[in-house]
Amino acid sequence: MLVVENLYAGYGTSKVLTGASLEVVQGKIVALIGANGAGKTTTMRAISGMLKPEKGRVLLDGKPVQGQDASRIARLGLAHAPEGRKVFGPLSTEDNLLLGAYSHLPLFFGFRAKSAHDLERVYDLFPLLRERRHQAAGTLSGGEQQMLAIGRALMANPKVMLLDEPSMGLAPVIVQEVFNTIRRLKAEGITLLLVEQFAKSALEVADYAYVMERGRIVAEGAPAELRKDERVLAAYLG
Amino acid sequence: MYSVIISQMVVSGALMGLVYALIAYGFQLTFSTSQTINFGQGELVMVSAFFSLTLLDWGVPFWLMVPGGLLFGVVLGLAVERAGVRLALEQKSEGWILLTIIIGLLGFSAAENIWGRDDRPFPTPISSDALQFFGVSITPLEISVAVGVFTLMGLIELFKRKTLLGKAFEAVSADRDAAELMGISATRTVMLSYGLSGLVAAMAGILVSPITTVGPTMASALILKAFSVAVVAGLDSGFGVVVIGIFLGALESLTSFYIGSGWREAPGLILLILALAVRPNGVFGKASIRKV
Amino acid sequence: MLKRLLLIRGAEIIALTLLAAIPLTVSNSYVLGLLTLLAIYGILLIGLDVTVGYLGQVNLAQAAFLGLGAYAAGLSVSLLGFGMLGALTVSMLVGLIFGGILAFPALRLEGPQFALATLSFSALSTTVLNEWEGLTGGAQGLHVSRPIFWGHTVTAQGFYWLCLILLALVWLAMRNLLSSQWGRAFEALRDSPIATDAMGVGTYRHKVAGFAMGSALGGLAGGLYAFNFQYLQPQSFVYELMVILLLGVVLGGRKSLWGAFFGASLVALLPNLLSNRLLFEVISTIGLLAALVAGVRGLMKKTTRPFQAIAPILALGLLAVGGMFVKNTEDWRKAIFALMLFSVVVGLPEGLMGFAARFLTRLFHIDPPALPPATVLDRVLPAKTPDGGPLLKLQDLKRHFGGVKAVDGISITVHSGQIHGLIGPNGSGKSTAVNVISGLYAPSAGKMLLHGKALPRGMFHVARTGVSRTFQNLQLFSELSALDNVMVAMKGVYRTPLPLVLMGLARGEEKRAQADALALLALVRLKHLSRVSAKDLTYGDQRFLEIARALARKPELLILDEPAAGLALPDVNKLVEIIWNIHNRGITIILIEHHMDVVSELCNVVTVLDGGRVIAEGAAEEVKRDPRVIEAYLGTASEAAAAEPCSFQTNP
Repeated sequence: MLVVENLYAGYGTSKVLTGASLEVVQGKIVALIGANGAGKTTTMRAISGMLKPEKGRVLLDGKPVQGQDASRIARLGLAHAPEGRKVFGPLSTEDNLLLGAYSHLPLFFGFRAKSAHDLERVYDLFPLLRERRHQAAGTLSGGEQQMLAIGRALMANPKVMLLDEPSMGLAPVIVQEVFNTIRRLKAEGITLLLVEQFAKSALEVADYAYVMERGRIVAEGAPAELRKDERVLAAYLG
Repeated sequence: MYSVIISQMVVSGALMGLVYALIAYGFQLTFSTSQTINFGQGELVMVSAFFSLTLLDWGVPFWLMVPGGLLFGVVLGLAVERAGVRLALEQKSEGWILLTIIIGLLGFSAAENIWGRDDRPFPTPISSDALQFFGVSITPLEISVAVGVFTLMGLIELFKRKTLLGKAFEAVSADRDAAELMGISATRTVMLSYGLSGLVAAMAGILVSPITTVGPTMASALILKAFSVAVVAGLDSGFGVVVIGIFLGALESLTSFYIGSGWREAPGLILLILALAVRPNGVFGKASIRKV
Repeated sequence: MLKRLLLIRGAEIIALTLLAAIPLTVSNSYVLGLLTLLAIYGILLIGLDVTVGYLGQVNLAQAAFLGLGAYAAGLSVSLLGFGMLGALTVSMLVGLIFGGILAFPALRLEGPQFALATLSFSALSTTVLNEWEGLTGGAQGLHVSRPIFWGHTVTAQGFYWLCLILLALVWLAMRNLLSSQWGRAFEALRDSPIATDAMGVGTYRHKVAGFAMGSALGGLAGGLYAFNFQYLQPQSFVYELMVILLLGVVLGGRKSLWGAFFGASLVALLPNLLSNRLLFEVISTIGLLAALVAGVRGLMKKTTRPFQAIAPILALGLLAVGGMFVKNTEDWRKAIFALMLFSVVVGLPEGLMGFAARFLTRLFHIDPPALPPATVLDRVLPAKTPDGGPLLKLQDLKRHFGGVKAVDGISITVHSGQIHGLIGPNGSGKSTAVNVISGLYAPSAGKMLLHGKALPRGMFHVARTGVSRTFQNLQLFSELSALDNVMVAMKGVYRTPLPLVLMGLARGEEKRAQADALALLALVRLKHLSRVSAKDLTYGDQRFLEIARALARKPELLILDEPAAGLALPDVNKLVEIIWNIHNRGITIILIEHHMDVVSELCNVVTVLDGGRVIAEGAAEEVKRDPRVIEAYLGTASEAAAAEPCSFQTNP
């Protein structure tokens, strides 16, 4: 569903990604782990269009999307829940969710009716959001905002979802909840690329994993094997 | 007796202040989505007011002229965005400041030549017979200013809150990158904000011209005061502009009365410089944090 | 070297001589008037270029300073009986003082707010000039009589030579200023105001000084303007004039004295250009052709965006065609200026001079002046023996952003002479802590003590106490060369007073600063790249440049914020060597890093942060094995995984 081939990307003269390749098969969860500064978030941004890659290809459902605007790629079926969550603070929880489905809702009126079903589905998944549906998103707690960001991405009924560092800044108990949610989504057959600093949690939910160091993939495989791989530990703690 | 005069001044001034507030509201619309404003907005008000006048000259009935003039304002707003702002935004430079000033000057020159340098009266079916409210006389024309300002601002706020496109607008204002990830085109949203800003400016022109006449000097007269209101209230303050607009309008009126009509500009300008010095983000605005 | 001197100085001398000689050969008073205006506008635009070119801001007040200076000069003659020199001094002072008064509030602002503040000031000045009829005669104008100069009446020719001499003096003084530490500081603060403060070069005070100098020149030009026309009206100094001035500066070329000069010629000649329709058509057609050629080339080579190539062609086309059809080009002055300025801003942002400079340097192969040999490193960065006592103490330091507790009560002691590591996962508060220490953010609570004394507020003041830093996201002065980047930071080290700088007596200091900067560049192995523009360096070299720059003030404490981020392995090794070298000179270092190998190799002691708090502290090896640290980095095991043997407990 999502194929990344030999991706090179960076910021100005900083060359962060130096030939990264990975693949996400439909219905599977793929984890991308590695230490800070390895280039995981840069990879996400280069895939979703927030950053234009210099070389390499990104194929979404077989179609090349590298170099296109983020809004275009989103409309093609890629939902990116970015690092730091980036919910629309002044807007309500429900508005945030509605905007997640922006690309296939009518612009002026009638959007509530059309989105009612998807909205219910998200609220069933995250009952806490239903409680806070009219509350301004900026006033939600970190964990709630993470749920909202995931819910927002789900509203788009995406072909592939990118989830970037969902655990960042959250208390361990909340991180557990987030990963429980990911497990439930896995049961529903979601196609997900997950970037995480917390290698252990990511490896538990993933079907396949890639380890990134200095802008390229240094190891990949089934999580059970990677967990015992020394290179993973080395990539983090030197 | 004296207090009646003062109240008179205050009320008339406050109504003018609403016009400044309306234009300032237009600035907020573009600033929230793109961190830019049209430095030539005064000229935009003037040109669209002249255009509206021309429609009336051609025999277009008043109620039809209004949407015509407003549409023209939208077109001008879009033109400013395309010619003056988009390139600078792409290059992440501040060239838009100079470019919008330039486009404004171009508009001024065109207006001077097409419509002449004299002030011209703007006919209106709304009556100027004074009505009395608690000893203060107000004309229906002045009331129409208040009605027009609040109606338009209200409609746009309704648009922002109730339609999906409006919510998308707010989303781009809140977080441009995240909005793009939802499939919302930030460029199109900026275009929308400039179109709305043009609409608002054209309305301001239509509302105020019957009272003050249409002329080349209208541009600079209105614009600096609108700037003052926008900056003092804060470019992200929402209805703060109405409060500050009323305040400034009243203050100007009193200054003109007590010190001299030539000095009426002064309070707005001084207020602007002070506000910029003391609270650059405005009385109602929010402070920003630097990221390194 | 000689070639350079001859070409550049030669051109200046020839131009000056020609200009001075013209009235001796041509006795046309019209031409004389034009040349006098040229000199006056030259001074005015040089002043404007300081803010528009060097500081990079849109300054809309210069026309107002012209007006204020003009009225001040006129009034000082009529009311106070001053002579020429006195009146001109007054006009210059008026410009300086009003510029200073405006600068204080206005220069806290950037971009559009600054433009607005200057615009308001301009409108306010016009209002005052108009309304204070008792003093200025209001809209009816003020007659100015040309005063005597040292007992002689001044003829038109004499006045012209006076203006020319003043232009030459201003030229020399500004050249000296802008090629000194001051000019570098102006450019630096435009590229990165944060770094400028962090290097101990006050951003704000330099902006104010630059602006005030520009307005002083505006005032001086105003005085000359008054004595030239001998009649003043407030209407002359309005918005339209300001746009013409901006046209002059942008078209001539920003950041260039010659550019200001060419721009001034344009401004002086503009009325003539407009009244002669044939001349106007010829010039606009030339402009159109130039835009077509440049636009097509740019599109084909893909160096310009479509809008940048096409818009100037449309604008100039409109100008050329429109000029043929309108009844009177004078009526459309404003539109003509607007279209010209539009084409230049979009299509030729570097102006004619920028374009010519590139062309000429290629043609004549002008080498930059030779660099002195580098100073011995020990003199630039003397080695000290630290006593190992506590240098920096953080006591329960807190920094909140709204509800987010980025730093939530950390207490750390950094001992002098050590390399103190600061590590932790993303969002643990390391960068925020460092930003608070260096003064970028004020603390929400808690204390920071350097040698037992509280650290001052603000990056500028902290830098002056001997604390220096690099940035996680590079904050280089990208348009300046590597050498200039380091030299900017040396401004606090050498301190020639401003009047001496203007007179050109700071050359010796300049050479010494260059030599010292070269030594620091050698320390980070960048000496051979000293002339390269910072934005053209490789990423690794840019990181090293930031370190060299941070050392310019001989800091006692150096904070390195993720210096190895994004570096390839060979550069990481180079970095370690450099840090080691700095450490051996007795400089205390706080090192934020994610690369654990770097941290292990270098740090004597490591503090680990998580969630804004200290969770461990000790030697690198201990800390790496601390289970709390491992948990913070790798996450907790869930119940399911707890059943499996977990291989993340490292082997001893």
